[in-house]
This record gives sequence, structure tokens and C-alpha cells, in this order.
Amino acid sequence: MVDPRVRPFRGPIAAFAAMLVIVAGTAAVLFARKMGLGAAQVEAFYLGSEAAFSRPRSLEGLLEVAVPHLLAVPLALFVTLHLVAFAGVVRRRPFALLSGLTFACALAGVAAGFGIRFLWPGLAWVKIAAFVGLEATLLLWCVLLVSVLVPGPNGSRREEGPVLLPGRPG
Amino acid sequence: MRLLVQPTPEALDRARPPVRIFLAFAVLLLVAAAAHRASQGALSPDGLERLLEAAPGERLGPLALWEEVHQGAFLYGFLLLALGSLLVVSPVSSRVRGALLAVSTGAAMVDLLAPLVPLVAPSLPGWAALRIAGFAVASGALLASAAVAWVTFGRTARRSDG
Repeated sequence: MVDPRVRPFRGPIAAFAAMLVIVAGTAAVLFARKMGLGAAQVEAFYLGSEAAFSRPRSLEGLLEVAVPHLLAVPLALFVTLHLVAFAGVVRRRPFALLSGLTFACALAGVAAGFGIRFLWPGLAWVKIAAFVGLEATLLLWCVLLVSVLVPGPNGSRREEGPVLLPGRPG
Repeated sequence: MRLLVQPTPEALDRARPPVRIFLAFAVLLLVAAAAHRASQGALSPDGLERLLEAAPGERLGPLALWEEVHQGAFLYGFLLLALGSLLVVSPVSSRVRGALLAVSTGAAMVDLLAPLVPLVAPSLPGWAALRIAGFAVASGALLASAAVAWVTFGRTARRSDG
């Protein structure tokens, strides 16, 4: 059952979820436009391309993108996951698995850029998979956030095991 | 989170100083954002149109536009969540709280999405003025939310102490 203490916060949570969807949508556009959607295009973005007259990315350039994302992405995920966990809309095990997958995608997405540039260009597939995985899981979390806002049948909430409810035993 | 879902007078009283510091930073952020846009010339329709003008062949508009919307949505999202949640635990009428949240969210959406209008309807005029109005209203409503939270947060707890 969704924790009733979350109900007064439905408005701010809805606004946050809407903004998160815009963040995810614009991230997809930026990824597609800056790098492209194929492994070869992603490789060319990091390693440079004679055909496109582009130079390889410098360490400084990679860090300029990575550092704000290393703060913003985990922060946004932490807050989103915390809200979903508090509302108790997902059981413990799926919650843990989905959380792990989301954070793994976020980390792989940031690390893969450095990997492509300095280790092995074949990691372009990891970059694409990590980005798609992060976008998909982020949208799933948004759906779960929105489910906090929608009353269940007869105005009740779905009957599922709550997770991480402070102030409640086990 | 505990202070928000278990708003006892003691917890609110203890939380008031850091909440007020956060509110001061939120106000600074909004003022700095307005100053930044002003310095770019983005607070006049002509300046904004020049700034976000697509180069030939840029069917989806300039990258700067998408980066701006991307960052703006992140900032608005956190401000709306934080200020909206603080108002929930403040002694503010639900009508005032709802109005502030609805106006700031709606105006933020206009601010973020208005520059995308030319991509779907290039001949439609007025998107720049719409965006500036959206930004002004969103900033005003968020500043008002911060002011209301500053004045009212923890007020019940203070009364109970007295």
C-alpha cells in the first residue's frame, strides 16, 4: 500500500516527474545530435573524424561533461528512487534490481566515454547500451512516480509490500 | 524526508535554520538565472530570437536550445520539488500552496517548451515573448513560494515553544 504520508506531496512530485521527463527527452535529442545513434558515429565523436573535420576529444573536454553529470544524474536518481521507495509502490527485490541497473547504466554511460577515447573504441556499444538503459529505466521510474499520484480502485492504493519506510518497523 | 513526512513541531523547529539557508540559495539561484539571461540578451524577444536562431540545415534548432531546456528542466524540477514540499509542511492554506505550485509549474513548462514552437510551427510568431513571460511568471511564483516558506516554515513549532 502506498504510504499515506506521501499523499500531500503529490503536487511537487508530479511537477518533479514532469521535469524529469523533459530532462530525459532532451538528453535523448542531445545524444542523437551530438554523437549519433550508431557505434561508428559514437566512436567518431570521441576519436575524431577526418571526414567530419573533428578532432579527438580532450581529457579536459570529457571532464567538462562528466563532472556535472556525476553530480546531477546520481542526485536526480537518488531523489526519484527515494520518493518511489517511500511511497512503497514497488516490492523490495524488484526495487533493488531496478535501482542497481539504473545506477549501473548511469556509471557505465559516464565511464564509457573515457573508455572509448583512451582504452578501446569498441566500448561505443557500451555507451549506447548504457544511455538507452538509463533513459528506459529513468522513464520507468517516472511512471512509478506518477503511479504514486493515481488513486487505485475505490480510491485505495495497490496492495504491495512497502520498502524503506522510515518510522515503521522492518 | 523524515522532517517532511513526520513534521513534528520539534523537527520543524530544528530544521528551520538550514531550510532558511536553502531558501536564500534558491532565491540567489533565481536572481542569478535572471541576471544570466539578461546578460545574454535573452530577456528581449529580439535578443532571444537571435540567440536561439537555427543555422541553415538545423532542422531541430541549435544545440544550445536543447542544452538550455535540458539544464532548465533539471533546475526547475528540483526547485519545484523542494519548495513545493516545504510548503506542504508549512502552515499555508492548500489553496495558496496549490496556486503557487500550479502557476510556477505551468509557467516553467511555458519557459522550457516555448522555444520548441518554431520547430513544429516555424511561421507562428510570439514564441520569444511567450518564453520571456513564462520565465518571469515562473521566477516570480518560485520567489513567492520561497518567501512564503521563509515566513511560515516552522511557525507552528515556534508558537508551541512560546
